[in-house]
Amino acid sequence: MKCDEARLLMMGYLDGELKDDEIKALEEHLQTCAKCRAEWESFKELKKETSEMKFKPFPEMFWDEYWENVYNKIERGIGWILFSLGAIILLAYGAYEMLQDFFLNPQKPMIEKVGLGLLLLGLIIVFVSVLREKLMIRKVDKYRRIVR
Amino acid sequence: MNAEISDREAIEACLDGDKEMYRHIVEKYKERAYYLALMFTKNREDALDLSQEAFYRAYRALKDYDPSRPFYSWFYRILKNLCINFVNQHKRMVRMDDYTEAAVPDLGERPDQLFEQNERTALVWQALRKLDDKDREIILMKDFNDFSYQEMADALGIPIGSVMSRLYYARKRLLKNLQKFKGEI
Repeated sequence: MKCDEARLLMMGYLDGELKDDEIKALEEHLQTCAKCRAEWESFKELKKETSEMKFKPFPEMFWDEYWENVYNKIERGIGWILFSLGAIILLAYGAYEMLQDFFLNPQKPMIEKVGLGLLLLGLIIVFVSVLREKLMIRKVDKYRRIVR
Repeated sequence: MNAEISDREAIEACLDGDKEMYRHIVEKYKERAYYLALMFTKNREDALDLSQEAFYRAYRALKDYDPSRPFYSWFYRILKNLCINFVNQHKRMVRMDDYTEAAVPDLGERPDQLFEQNERTALVWQALRKLDDKDREIILMKDFNDFSYQEMADALGIPIGSVMSRLYYARKRLLKNLQKFKGEI
């Protein structure tokens, strides 16, 4: 085995990712190559140091509520989709009712009706989307009081 | 909850409308997700919010997930992007003088924000901070977020051989930094 290959296998050995035959081949190389052996000892020491670094523990009570919070987000996400759909349908229906004379007038060209219909629908979708975003950001953005 | 259920089975059940099965995924990965977010935010509440938001977004995007790949490497990209956006937005809002776009956790100025403090921790933390983003990312993934080589290969879009190679050079540089700091004491 060449040193280049041994260096990569050292990582796998360190991280428990090698197969038995790879471990055997690496160990044989380490017995014969002083330079790689010295490197290996340094890496082992480093791994020991990093594995001894412990994150500050997180209070158990928060872990208990973790799934419930994710579940609530999923439920509310579906709620927001339904809210948006309902709002778009109602606003579009309201706009149609208000402009019924225009849309039912046979003298108005179809292209004008289609154009105005699409324009209104687009406006309604943008309005509902912005409204939803504002409501959601207001709820979660902790930095909303900070002036840019 | 049945501990024998695989990620694939849980996700397939979710796609069939069984939201409760997503619990299996969340319970399995919540600690890694939280600590990954904590490395970006240095703040417990923000890390909690962001990791939960990432699970919610992953749920919504489940139909795009390829079940033949590890779940956590796919989820990692979602969470990492959320954290990067959060950190960059936060930096802009508080008008930090040394503002730079975050792509990898910078570990902050105080090790005690993340780790239980001792002298050795402070040294390794200092040496890690001095690494460039690419080296720091791969070491944080392996040594502080328990990624397997397969997960890293998938998350970074590189072969496993390249994962080992990047780890080798990153650890070499970390060792060099560490020896330098030890020499300065």
